[in-house]
Amino acid sequence: MKKHIWAFLIPLLLSSGLVFGQEDGTRYLEGLERKYSGLKDYRVDVKVHVDMEGFKAPDMQGELFLKAPDKMKVESKKVFFLPKEGGHFNPFMFKKEAFDTRLLEHITYDNQKAVKLKLLPKDLKKMKQGFVLILDVESYQIREFHTSSEEREGRGVIEYGRFKGFDLPTRIELHLDVQFKESFEMKEFGQSSPRERRVTGKIEISYSNYKVNSGLSDEMFGNPREEK
Amino acid sequence: MNLFWIEIYKTFSRWRTYIGFGVIALIVIITEVVMKLSADEILHRMLRSLEKDFLISGNVLNGWFVTTFIMNSLHIHIPFLITLVAGDMVSSEATSGTVRLLLIRPPSRSRIISAKYITTLFYTAGLVLFLGLLCILLGLTLFGSGDLIIHHYGRFGITYLSEGEIPLRMFFAFMAAIWSMMVVASIAFLLSTLVENSVGPIIGTMAVVVVFLVMGNFPLDFFRSLKPYLFTSYMTFWQRFLDDPIPWQEIGSSAAVLGLHAIVLFLIALGVYTRKDIKS
Repeated sequence: MKKHIWAFLIPLLLSSGLVFGQEDGTRYLEGLERKYSGLKDYRVDVKVHVDMEGFKAPDMQGELFLKAPDKMKVESKKVFFLPKEGGHFNPFMFKKEAFDTRLLEHITYDNQKAVKLKLLPKDLKKMKQGFVLILDVESYQIREFHTSSEEREGRGVIEYGRFKGFDLPTRIELHLDVQFKESFEMKEFGQSSPRERRVTGKIEISYSNYKVNSGLSDEMFGNPREEK
Repeated sequence: MNLFWIEIYKTFSRWRTYIGFGVIALIVIITEVVMKLSADEILHRMLRSLEKDFLISGNVLNGWFVTTFIMNSLHIHIPFLITLVAGDMVSSEATSGTVRLLLIRPPSRSRIISAKYITTLFYTAGLVLFLGLLCILLGLTLFGSGDLIIHHYGRFGITYLSEGEIPLRMFFAFMAAIWSMMVVASIAFLLSTLVENSVGPIIGTMAVVVVFLVMGNFPLDFFRSLKPYLFTSYMTFWQRFLDDPIPWQEIGSSAAVLGLHAIVLFLIALGVYTRKDIKS
């Protein structure tokens, strides 16, 4: 009889643990959302240093504009590359409704209490891959994020400064491992299929001269090529 | 020197000399206008692999990029235009019946052939420089200036060149392109000394260039092993001036191989011409 009780209790305990885990994860995202609820927009000078295999570029400078919840663009006089994933900080993208959130573990990160969360997007058309976040639960700062898919893997480490009462990044260090595929149209003579290769490297992005809640208008994000 | 200016006068008095310049002007104008009209499509195609991972701003499709884009077709259409004049340089004297008149005058045959060869090289350089100047001036007018992003197809590399360093690199690239085209001009010139009509050297030179290009690019091990022995494999060494860092050693060896080809071809032409029987 006891054996039968355990057979009944074990799945119950496991499933309840999973449910509580999911609730906990959502709670942290709510905290993150609350923390940045007063942030309407920001503009910031960005400097990008690329140290990637096969990518030879001097340091690039541009200006990044972000408006809640999802308007974003970059401007620069010179040609400027900013990584799409992790190149800019948008706290509004981690809405609890948008993800299935799992609390993976409680950890200590830089002597601070933190949690590791796994976020799986509910709408895979809007967002194709999930994240693992390391969130400092005392300051509600995202300290690290990890992405992984067949085409690319990335890890970002974020350092913060305080600007008008908001913790915003001063530096993001991205470690990338991406699949580089040559487009079919531009292939060399006689080549039968697109070539593929994995490329690894590091991108350091520095942020300075924040202007927070300056009232950026929607019209300035109008160019469809720059707004992604 | 006097002989050289006479050859220059003779060459630039022929209407066929200007076909090359006209065709280049037409190609460049049509290409740049079409590129201007389909800028979005071109940008999408050229940045497709990058746009998956990066947000890109700034004037990527600028005059320098357009110039590089057109330059990439250099080894396909320029050789034909060069052969139009180079292939006619010596054989035209036979065709028009002036060869005997020319060779009974005091200057030696070697001086005459040298003057003709230098004129051929002068025309070749003029044609490539015309292409470069037209591409750059029209490109900068239509597309503006900016940094140059070069996607090295087949080498998994992207190079970003700052606007300030592009003019000097372009200058070297065009000098290298002239150097490459000297070999094509030398083949046509040599063939021109062997025959008495201009069609043979033109077709012969183009046949050599096309066959070598095809052999050098066929994705089979046998043809790959032949590649180092084909002069066409070195003709795109101008592209190396747009690498970062510039591979001087590779440029030096490519330039040496091409230079050697040009010298040997000229020496053969000299030998053939000085022994040429003009009595029969």
